[in-house]
Amino acid sequence: MSRALHAEWTKLRTVAAPAWLLLGLVALTVAASTLIASVTKCPGSCGDDTTKISLTGVMLGQAAVAGLAVLVVTAEYSTGMIRVSLAATPRRSVLLGAKAAIVTGTVLVAGAVAVLGSLVAGRELLPGNGFTAAHGFAALSLLHGPTLRAAAGSVLYLALIGLFSLGVGVAVRDPAAAIAVVLGLVYVIPVIGDVMLSGVWQRRIERWSPMDAGLAVQVTRNVAKQPIGPWLGLGVLGLWAAGALLIGWLVLRLRDA
Amino acid sequence: MTQLGTPYRSDLRAGRDGFWQVLRAEWTKFRTVRGWAIALVAVAVLTAVMPILLSTPAKSNDNVTCVRRPGGCFVGGQTIATGPAGDAVTDTFYFVHQPMAVSGSITARVSALRASGNATGVPPGYPEALATQPWAKAGLIIKASTRPGSAYAAVMLTGRHGIRMQYNFTQDIAGNEPVASAATPRWLRLTRAGDLITGYESPDGTRWTRLGTARLAGLSGTVQAGLFVTSPDFIESQGSGDDRVDLPTHATAAFDGILLHGGLADQSWAGTSVGSPPAGVRPTLKCASGGRCKGLSAGGGFTSADGRYVVGGSGDIAPYEPDVDPIDVAFLATLFGLITVIALGAVFVTAEYRRGLIRTSLTASPRRGRVLLAKSIVIAGVTFVAALIGAAIAFHVSEQKLIANGWAPPVWPDISLTSGAGLQIVLGTAAIAAGASVLGLAAGTIFRRSAGAVLAVAGLLVIPFILAHVLPLAWADWLLRLTPAAAFSLQAGVRHYPQVNTVCAPYHGCFPLAGWDGSVVLAAWVLVALAGGFCLLRRRDA
Repeated sequence: MSRALHAEWTKLRTVAAPAWLLLGLVALTVAASTLIASVTKCPGSCGDDTTKISLTGVMLGQAAVAGLAVLVVTAEYSTGMIRVSLAATPRRSVLLGAKAAIVTGTVLVAGAVAVLGSLVAGRELLPGNGFTAAHGFAALSLLHGPTLRAAAGSVLYLALIGLFSLGVGVAVRDPAAAIAVVLGLVYVIPVIGDVMLSGVWQRRIERWSPMDAGLAVQVTRNVAKQPIGPWLGLGVLGLWAAGALLIGWLVLRLRDA
Repeated sequence: MTQLGTPYRSDLRAGRDGFWQVLRAEWTKFRTVRGWAIALVAVAVLTAVMPILLSTPAKSNDNVTCVRRPGGCFVGGQTIATGPAGDAVTDTFYFVHQPMAVSGSITARVSALRASGNATGVPPGYPEALATQPWAKAGLIIKASTRPGSAYAAVMLTGRHGIRMQYNFTQDIAGNEPVASAATPRWLRLTRAGDLITGYESPDGTRWTRLGTARLAGLSGTVQAGLFVTSPDFIESQGSGDDRVDLPTHATAAFDGILLHGGLADQSWAGTSVGSPPAGVRPTLKCASGGRCKGLSAGGGFTSADGRYVVGGSGDIAPYEPDVDPIDVAFLATLFGLITVIALGAVFVTAEYRRGLIRTSLTASPRRGRVLLAKSIVIAGVTFVAALIGAAIAFHVSEQKLIANGWAPPVWPDISLTSGAGLQIVLGTAAIAAGASVLGLAAGTIFRRSAGAVLAVAGLLVIPFILAHVLPLAWADWLLRLTPAAAFSLQAGVRHYPQVNTVCAPYHGCFPLAGWDGSVVLAAWVLVALAGGFCLLRRRDA
C-alpha cells in the first residue's frame, strides 16, 4: 500500500494541473467568501449566520475539488496510463484506495487553508458591516463550538466531495462526462430544490442532495430548525461518496481497463 | 546515366479543400462516433423530461389560488381583478370623482405628492415608510366605472418617474419634461371625446403639451372622472434569495384649480376607495361642493377647503405580477441537458487531441480557422436541434401540467407553444444549448483537455446562474449582466413591466437584461472564446 501511495503521490505532484486546481480551491473559496462577507450587511441581514456567510466560498471552491478528483483517475484513462498503473499495482482496491487517500489528504490540507482563510476574512470584515456585539454577534472564533464544527465540517465536506467525484470518475472514465455528472448532481439539484414548486419535494431535496445536506454542517444558528442536522447531513454526503466509490470499485474490478 | 522516371501519381482526382468539404468531414466525424450520438439523444431526453418532472408535483405556493370555473384567481379570499384585456391587474386607489358625459375635460394642478407613512392596517412594529415610493401616483383619471379592472386613462405625477400618462394598466407613456421633484406643482389635463382620451401636462396652466391619446374600446355613455392618489407597496430584498419586506404604503397629494367640463348637473365630488379590502364594505364619502368634508377609509380619504383638495390613497393601478414564474422554474431543469451539451462540445475537439486525429484534420485542411468554424457549425447545429426537440416537448407538457395544477390565467398567462413568449422559451433554450456547445468547443480548443474545458464553461455559464439564485440580489444582478448566464432570461415566462415595483430576482423570472437582450451577452462570450481558440490553434503546434 505504501508503494502504491508513493506512486500516486509522485503522479500527482509531477503534473501541473493538480497543483493549479488545489491553488484554485484556496483562491476561489477565499475570494468568494471575502466577497460575500463584504456585501452582507446588518441591518438588512441581521438574521443571518455569520459563520455560514464566511464559508459561502466553499460552494465555489468545491468545483476545483471535483476537477482534481475526477482528473486523478480519468486522466489515466485518457492517456492509457491506467494500464501501466494496473500492471504495477494489480490489486485494484489497493490502487483505488491509494488514489482516495491521496485525494483526501491533499484536499484536507488545501481545504483547511481555504476554510481558515475564509474565516479570517469573515472575522475581519463582518464586524465592520454591522455584525457587532451590539446586534448580538461575537467575532468569529474557532473556540466557539458551533463555529469549530462548521469549519472542521467544511474541510471534511470538501474531502467528501473529492471522494464522491473520484468514485464518479472511476465509474465513468471519461473526464468530460465525469465532470458533467458531478456538476449536475452537486450544483443543479440544490438550485432546483431551492425554487421547487412543491414543498414536499423541496424538503426531500434539502435533506438528500449532496450539497444541501453536506453544507448543513456550516449552520451555527437555529440548528434545530434545519431540514437536517449538521453531522447527519455530512453523513448523507458520506453515503453519496461511499456509493460512488462502491460503483467505481465494481466497475474497476469488472471491466477491462 | 540515371533514368529519372515519373514518380507514382494517384489516378484519383484531387479532392477540393473548400469549406463545404471541411464541414462535411466534421459532420461525418460527429455522426460516426456512437458515444456522441448517445450523448445527443441524452441532451434531448434530459431537456424534455427534467422540466416535466419538475412541474409534475407543482402546486401554487404563491398564496394565489386559481380555479377554472367560475374562472379567476384569488389571494387572501379576494378575487384578483382583471383588466380590459383579461389579464390580472392591481386596481386599488382613492378616487374623488364625478360623472362625465360623452365629451368633456378635467384640469387640475397637482402638488405636494409625498409619503404619509404606512397604509392603515399595517400592524405596529413595522418600519414606517417615510420616502415617497418611486411609483406613487397622483393625478387625473377618467374611468369607465369605479369597478376594479374597468377601462381607464390617467395622467399623473409620480414619486420618482416624473409625469406619466397611463391607460388600461399595461400602457405607460413618459412625460416630455423631467420634473424637479414630486413636490413641484404641475398642471394636468384629460380630455374625452367618445372613446378617445387625450392627456396633457403644463408647468403653468397656459402652455400645454400633449402626452398621448388612448382609445379605450367600448367606453360609451357616462364615465367617472376625477382626482386619484395611490402608493404601491414598499418592497425591499433582504439579503439573498426570496427574503424580502413587503409593506403597504400611503401617500397624499394636493389638488387645486380643478376645472371639470362635461359634468352632469347637480353633482358633487364623491370619494371612493376603489378595490380596497374588505370587499363588502367600500365606504363612499360625499360632501357638498366647495364645502369641507373629511373621512378616512381603509384605503384612503380626502379633505377639501376653498377649492383645494388633499387626497390620500394606497395601492397601485398596474398589471398584477405574480411572485413565481412557474415555467421559468420548470425550465431550470434544462441545466442537466446543458451540462451534457457543454461536455459534448468540449469532447468534440479534445478527443482529436487525445487520439492525435487533430494532426490529420489539420493536414487535410491546413487553414485552421476553417476547421474551427466547421466544428462550431456542426456542434451548434446538432445541439440546437436536439435541445429544440426536447424543449418543445418539455414546454408543451409542463405548461399543461402547470395550468392543471393552478398556475392558471388570469394571473399566469396560458402561453401557447407558437405564441411569442412560447417560441422565445423554446427557441431560447435551444439557442442557449447551441451557444454553450460552442463555448465548450472553444474552451476545449484552448485547454485541449476536456475536464478543464467543461469546468471552465460550467464555471462561466451554469455556476453563476445557480449562484444568482442564492447570492444577494445586487450580486445576482451583476452576474446576470456580465456572465453568459444572462441568456437564461430567454426562459422567463411571466412578463415584467417597468411600472410595477417588484424585487427583480431570477426566481420571479425577472432578469436585468430581459428577453433576447440577455442572449447578446452569451453571443459576445461565444465570439470572444472562439477568437481565443482560433489564436491559440494558429499559434501552437498541434
